[in-house]
Amino acid sequence: MYTYNRKGPKRGVALYSYSAEFGLTKTLEDCFEDIHDMGAHGIEILANTHIENYPNPTDAWVENWFRLCEKYEIVPVEYGHWIDSHVVRGRDLTTEESVEMLCRDLRLAHRLGFTCMRTKMPVINGDLEPVKNWREIIKAALPLAEKLGLVMLPEIHTPSNLKGKMVSDYVDFIEETGTKNFGLNIDFSVFRTEFREGEHRSPNYIPNDPEDIIPLLQYIYCCHAKFIRMSDDFEETTIPYTRIVKILQEHGWNGYLLSEYEGADKYDEGYEVGQTLRKQHIMLKNLLGD
Amino acid sequence: MEKQVIQSVGFRNIRENGEVTGFQFKIRLPYYRGIFLSQIMPGTLFVDGEKIEKENIVWCLKGEEYSNEEMSADFKTHWNPTECMVLKVKKPGGLAQGWHHLKYGFCFTSSYMPPIMQDKLDPDQESFIFMPEFGHHINERRLLIV
Repeated sequence: MYTYNRKGPKRGVALYSYSAEFGLTKTLEDCFEDIHDMGAHGIEILANTHIENYPNPTDAWVENWFRLCEKYEIVPVEYGHWIDSHVVRGRDLTTEESVEMLCRDLRLAHRLGFTCMRTKMPVINGDLEPVKNWREIIKAALPLAEKLGLVMLPEIHTPSNLKGKMVSDYVDFIEETGTKNFGLNIDFSVFRTEFREGEHRSPNYIPNDPEDIIPLLQYIYCCHAKFIRMSDDFEETTIPYTRIVKILQEHGWNGYLLSEYEGADKYDEGYEVGQTLRKQHIMLKNLLGD
Repeated sequence: MEKQVIQSVGFRNIRENGEVTGFQFKIRLPYYRGIFLSQIMPGTLFVDGEKIEKENIVWCLKGEEYSNEEMSADFKTHWNPTECMVLKVKKPGGLAQGWHHLKYGFCFTSSYMPPIMQDKLDPDQESFIFMPEFGHHINERRLLIV
C-alpha cells in the first residue's frame, strides 16, 4: 500500500468537492487522477456517495479502491459518514441502533485503509447542536475504534466557533475519557473574515483568529481546507491562509489539509471544480513548500 | 446517467402476461450523497396533466420492489447517487404511442439539517430556498413512448 511520509501539514482533497460532476461526467478514477495531477496525496471520501453498493461494497470494488490508491499515490485519509439517527420519520433511532450504524462504518473505513473518520452527528437545532445521546453513542464505539486504529472526528464548521460550547463539550469528553479515538476536524470556514455585500452570513457567526486553533491542535487529526474565493494570482481572499498554515507548521502539527469546495457555482453548466481545486493547491504548495 | 433527474432511458410501457399494466421511468438522486429508503418522501406524479397518486407507484432498486410503507421503515437499504431508481406506475393499458409530459415530485430528509427545516419538507412543493446540492423536488421532462 502506498505511504506518504512527509512531516507537517500535507495536501489532500475531499471528494465532496466533485459533487456536481461525480457520477455524471467524472468517475472515481477521474477524481483520483485529478488529485494526482495536483501532487496531493490525501483523499477524503463520503461513504454514502463514493462507495458503490454502500454499505456493502463487493470485494472487487475494494480491490479496485486499493489499485487506485497505489496507481495515483493516494493515502486514504478521512472517511466521511453520518450517524443518521433521524433516518426514520416519527422516531429517533435508539442509542443501540445508532451504535450499530456507527460500528458498521468503522469496519468499512478500516477495510478501505482509512485512519480518520469525519463523523457527522445528527443535529437538533439551528445552532447545529448534536443529539443529546451523542456521548453514549461515541463511548459505545470507542473500543472498536481503538481496535481498528480509527479516530472519529466531528467537523467544526461555520457558524460554530472554536471557543464555543460545542467545541468545549467535545474537548471535555476527550479529556474525561482519555481517548485517542475521538477528536476534531476543523473546517477553515471558521476563520473566514471577508463577505461580499448581500452574501449570506449567519447572525451567530464570529470569525476565529488563526491563533484560536493552537490550544486545540492536540485534538485535531485533519482539517477541511475550506476555500471560498481564489484570485487569479492564487490567493484565497476570504480566509487568512498564510497565518493558518504558518501556525500549523510552527507547532509541528502533522496531518492532512483536505480541500473542500462548497461554492454553489460548481453546479453551473460547464464548471470544472478540478480547476478551482488546482488554484488552491498552487497556493497550498507554495505555502507548504512541498 | 443523464444530468436531468428523470432519465430518457428506461421510459416504456410494462407488459405482464401479455397485457400492458402500466409504464415505468427512471430517476436519479439529485443529492451529493446516498440515502436510505426511509429518508425518501415520495410525492405526486402528473402524466400529461393527469394526477397519479403515490399509492399507484412502486419504487424499484436493483430489481427489488418497495411499497411506500416498506420504504418508510427501511433504513438499511441504501440508494447510491450513481444508480437509478425505477418507478413502476400502475395504469391499465399504459401510455399511448407518442410524446408524454412527466412531472414528478419527491424529496428526502437529512439528519444533519435542523429539524425545523425537515418538518417543512414537502415533495410536491419546492423548498423555500433552493440549494443545488439537494436538487429540485419537482422535476419535469417530455419523452417518447414507442
